[in-house]
Amino acid sequence: MSSFSRSAQQWATFARSWFLIDARMQPPGKIATMCSVRLQGKHKPIYHALSDCGDHVVVINTKHIAFSGNKWEQKVYSSHTGFPGGFKQVTAAQLHLKDPKAIVRLAVYGMLPRNLHRRTMMQRLHIFPEDELPDDIRANLTEELPQPREIPRKLSEYTQEEIDAFPRLWIPPEDYKMK
Amino acid sequence: MVFLTLSCWIRNRGPDRFWKVQELLKHHADLLSHFRGRKNRCYKLAVLAVRRAFVYATKSRKLKKRNMRTLWITRIAAATREHNMKYPILMHNLNKCSVQLNRRVISDIAITEPRTFLSLAKLARARQQEGFRAALGDGKEPSGVLSRVMLQ
Repeated sequence: MSSFSRSAQQWATFARSWFLIDARMQPPGKIATMCSVRLQGKHKPIYHALSDCGDHVVVINTKHIAFSGNKWEQKVYSSHTGFPGGFKQVTAAQLHLKDPKAIVRLAVYGMLPRNLHRRTMMQRLHIFPEDELPDDIRANLTEELPQPREIPRKLSEYTQEEIDAFPRLWIPPEDYKMK
Repeated sequence: MVFLTLSCWIRNRGPDRFWKVQELLKHHADLLSHFRGRKNRCYKLAVLAVRRAFVYATKSRKLKKRNMRTLWITRIAAATREHNMKYPILMHNLNKCSVQLNRRVISDIAITEPRTFLSLAKLARARQQEGFRAALGDGKEPSGVLSRVMLQ
């Protein structure tokens, strides 16, 4: 860092980076907190609300997002069309089928500060349901962020030796009838 | 009716009103130039706007101190997260090491002196580990290096 000129150092500090987050098997709330922190610029020591220090965030694989618990059936997204009798309530599963990007977009929108910068920050958020990215966005990416949740392995992904090495709690007797 | 003739209606008021008006507009021109609409030109509106501006200025002398402190805390938190640590851990452990740097100085260090800030973060981490060892251990291990506070 001491070898860079002052102007180059300043350019590097105030440059706008592009972050990539893979949302496969991740809870959308944790993805949204990471996005909102970086969109506001709160991950930088030079943060100020007026200095427009937010970065771009690209979220991929939002179609494969994973809510914990029973939220797919229990979480309700409400909206009103403005006309009488226009109160609509949709479960998370239905909304995800209709638009795979909406859950992450609404989560990030709710986590940003409620001021006029929110819309510009949402413009800097790019959500893609699958792995495909346009070439110009792929060329801009600078850093990939680690996933917040460790994906647990499926039973089919364990080798037979690991399954055998796992301690058995209880061995059923010979004439035990399993359901 | 007291004023029965035309000549009695004439009142001799102050001669300098115009100049007083101009004095206000010119005296606070630096303040008024940032106002919106007719408040920056017309006397009646400008008087009220200037008074309101002064009231806001007095009230916000206290708010400025609060806002600056939250800004310093936000900046320090951002810098500590870059080093895989959190703000409360850093401040608590720096307090325990009796490092009496205030938030203003630490946020300036975090911006302009990144390596000094890294050393502060490492100090806090080491003190945290010592605290864990003292709490979880059985007391047979000697108390740590950083826990022996010299200054009171």
